[in-house]
Amino acid sequence: MLPADCSRRLVAELRGALDACAERQRQLERSLRVSRRLLRAWEPAATPAAEPTLGPEAKGEHLSPGEPRPPAFPRSCPRAWPAPSREQRPGASARFLAFSACTPSSQDLKELELLTQALEKAARVRKGISKAGGDKAPVPKSGSTVTPVTTTPSHLQAPGQADGRVSETSPPRGICQTKAPTKGHPERRLLSSEDRISWGRGARATRPGPGLRDQQTAPPAAQQAPEAFTLKEKGTLLQLPMAFRKAASQNSRLWAQISSTQTSDSADATTTAKTQFLQKMQTASGPHGPGLSAAEVEAELGRLQEACSLLRLRMEEEVAAAPVDWKQELRCLFTLEGLQALAGQCLCRLQELRAAVAEQQLGPWPVGGSRSTLSPCGAGADPARGPRLLLYSSTQELQTLVALRLQVAMLTQQIHLEKVLMAELLPLVHTQGRWGPRELSLCRAVHSLLCDAGERFPTVLQDEPTG
Amino acid sequence: MGRQRRRVDRAAGAGSGTLPEAIAALSRALPCGPSPETFRRAKFDRPEAAPALWQLLFRVLSPVSEAGATAPPAPEAQARLVKAALRSEGYPRPALAQLPEDGSRGSRELLLALSWLLARRPLLERLLARTRVRLGDEVAVCECEDLAFGRANTGLPALGLGSELHVDIRHVQWLMGKLRFQWRNLVSTQQEQCALLSKIHLYTWGCHSDQSLGHLSATETEVLRDPEGSQQLLQVLEQENAHLAATVEWRRRELVFWQWMDTVLDTCPQQAPDAGSQPVFLPKIPDHRAGQWELVAGEMQALEEELRAAAEPRRAAWEAQVRGQSRDPAWSSALRALQETVGQELAALRWAWDQGRDPAQPHGLYRLVRSEPGAPAGRGLQAAEVIGALRSKEACLEAALRQLQGQCRRELARLMGALPGFVWISSPVR
Repeated sequence: MLPADCSRRLVAELRGALDACAERQRQLERSLRVSRRLLRAWEPAATPAAEPTLGPEAKGEHLSPGEPRPPAFPRSCPRAWPAPSREQRPGASARFLAFSACTPSSQDLKELELLTQALEKAARVRKGISKAGGDKAPVPKSGSTVTPVTTTPSHLQAPGQADGRVSETSPPRGICQTKAPTKGHPERRLLSSEDRISWGRGARATRPGPGLRDQQTAPPAAQQAPEAFTLKEKGTLLQLPMAFRKAASQNSRLWAQISSTQTSDSADATTTAKTQFLQKMQTASGPHGPGLSAAEVEAELGRLQEACSLLRLRMEEEVAAAPVDWKQELRCLFTLEGLQALAGQCLCRLQELRAAVAEQQLGPWPVGGSRSTLSPCGAGADPARGPRLLLYSSTQELQTLVALRLQVAMLTQQIHLEKVLMAELLPLVHTQGRWGPRELSLCRAVHSLLCDAGERFPTVLQDEPTG
Repeated sequence: MGRQRRRVDRAAGAGSGTLPEAIAALSRALPCGPSPETFRRAKFDRPEAAPALWQLLFRVLSPVSEAGATAPPAPEAQARLVKAALRSEGYPRPALAQLPEDGSRGSRELLLALSWLLARRPLLERLLARTRVRLGDEVAVCECEDLAFGRANTGLPALGLGSELHVDIRHVQWLMGKLRFQWRNLVSTQQEQCALLSKIHLYTWGCHSDQSLGHLSATETEVLRDPEGSQQLLQVLEQENAHLAATVEWRRRELVFWQWMDTVLDTCPQQAPDAGSQPVFLPKIPDHRAGQWELVAGEMQALEEELRAAAEPRRAAWEAQVRGQSRDPAWSSALRALQETVGQELAALRWAWDQGRDPAQPHGLYRLVRSEPGAPAGRGLQAAEVIGALRSKEACLEAALRQLQGQCRRELARLMGALPGFVWISSPVR
């Protein structure tokens, strides 16, 4: 067994490391959940099974009177959301049509028939392609998935649009909506994105899309029914809502403004007023000397630690080098003596800091993390040096980058733990009195921990005296 | 109020705006900022202004995780933390320490403390930066985050060890193994997340209104997927915009505020500087940092010893060698030149740790953006560069770790080799 204070320190250190790791894992898993959800088929916000009558209202319908509504599918009741029990299989398309409020026109009905046929064909093809089982079982679900999602982009894009565009929607419908308010550029973009999407994959139900796009008037209800909204197929058609975009651009503008004011005020009246105030505060409180903050002390401690490792590295280099002529020998000598002087200076600084801390009674930061306002990372110190981008070109590259980051973090932690273990365990081994089996096993354990990070063990053989 | 304004207007000839506007901007810019009236009352040390100021200081000084906590602690605990934090910061005035913790008075002192914090550093900007809404998929390219993770967790030693006062070395081994496993887990989770993010970026290509970005981030896509849920995000964003606008206004008007604070300081009664009777607030919790001091001091001392051991024989050998040689001017100038070169190298080395961070090195959070490999540079940091830097850093760290492990190996071998009757077969070096 290890002595009490040694145990306490070791366990505290290791538990701290474990907690830090666990915290990272938690954060990562949160983001992972979000990403996974985004890449699946998007679920509707309000499930259709919830409220039969909720459907049209919840989906933010923008039907305005006077526009020819999409025709009610004969099998569904005109206004109400069809009850789930009734509308299992064929009802998918019907859900879209349940928005209707007035009688369908014959032209609408015809178009609807065409579309329904196209969609059913698409559904069949899709069934063949997709690995999802269940004949039509995904259909109602996916049908309902499409509605709210596709409604929402257009909903968000046309918040105040009062020109009565019917907004049952499908992504092509969404395209129509986006085109109308913002001309030119999105159009180009959408066209090019369309080129990029492989529309030719199967008999896509959106094939009527181009046809639909030309009609700016109320087309019949979109029949994306069998296809769920997946990011893979339709991601390029998304567009952030206007309110959001506005807020985001205002946000970046304001941050840029703030960073520019920060860098600009170097020696003006405000800064002098502030310095004067600080000085006055200092003198008014008596001769306590300039206060060091705990954060500054910790930063300096970190710097001295770094100094230690840099000095050591340099020393190893010099010691390992074999000088060939007197010049190199001399150089080596000067370097070593210089390093020694630096080490001495660092030690002095260390003692000074320690004395200052003791005198000022600077306690440790009261609540664990010093991740407070007052000791920020670069991100805080320079909040808005323009949007800082990290460009990567392939998944592989990104994964390599991130793996290396983690590796660096892990190595830093390992080095720290190694130092702690060395400080705690080596003295124990040194002070062993007798060497019985327990002490030997302790030695083996210490060796494995310190020299191989616990991965391998040395062997101890007892050399029995013969005879 | 009127008196102050007139005074300020007389004093500040070119003052930008009036005091009430400055204070209003400040109160809008601060998170849970007190009303402007509170500031005015605080100048006259009115007790009713105290609670709001205690709360504000608590909010400002507590670390990130606490700032967003749902239930703020009791006023006494808040007051204690504020006092301790300010002392940590090196707040010069002892009067703050003597304030009662029930929040009943001390508004003037608290106002001074707030202004002290505001004057020392760009407090508002940092407050906003730490809670900044991140719309992109952010990745940190520096190690500050790692340190923050580590520090957050070794802040207070585990006090509840109680029954585990003595642990066996096997427990330590078990903990190490668990740590190793957790890291492996973390790496694989991280790889998956990267693959997913990459897909999201690919699939949403061309959607972003901001052309320089080109695609949506996971956060933005989430906004589209779940609009009701993202209303909150929008609200937070707008709130941040309001704070930012207030901060910009504050920056323009703050001169009059500082002139006013001078007058506040003048109204404080002069305090006799008390020599050494500083009341100790914090119970003496075992400071983990004491251990860190020891570590660093021990290392540094050991290093100095080794350097001395390396340098002295060389010096002796050199002296012996040089004794016989003639001292001509060419020789001594060569010597001087050499000394200078070495001096410069060492100065560069010192600068490397003194500066803390290489300013050219990337630092902080960056937004991930997928782009074509041949894209024009200058838009941002290239992943390839960062990878290169990280690789060299990794190599450095691995070398350091090997060196430490080698040191242990030698020492233990020496120790065990000295024991009679045992044969020690060390594990193979990797």
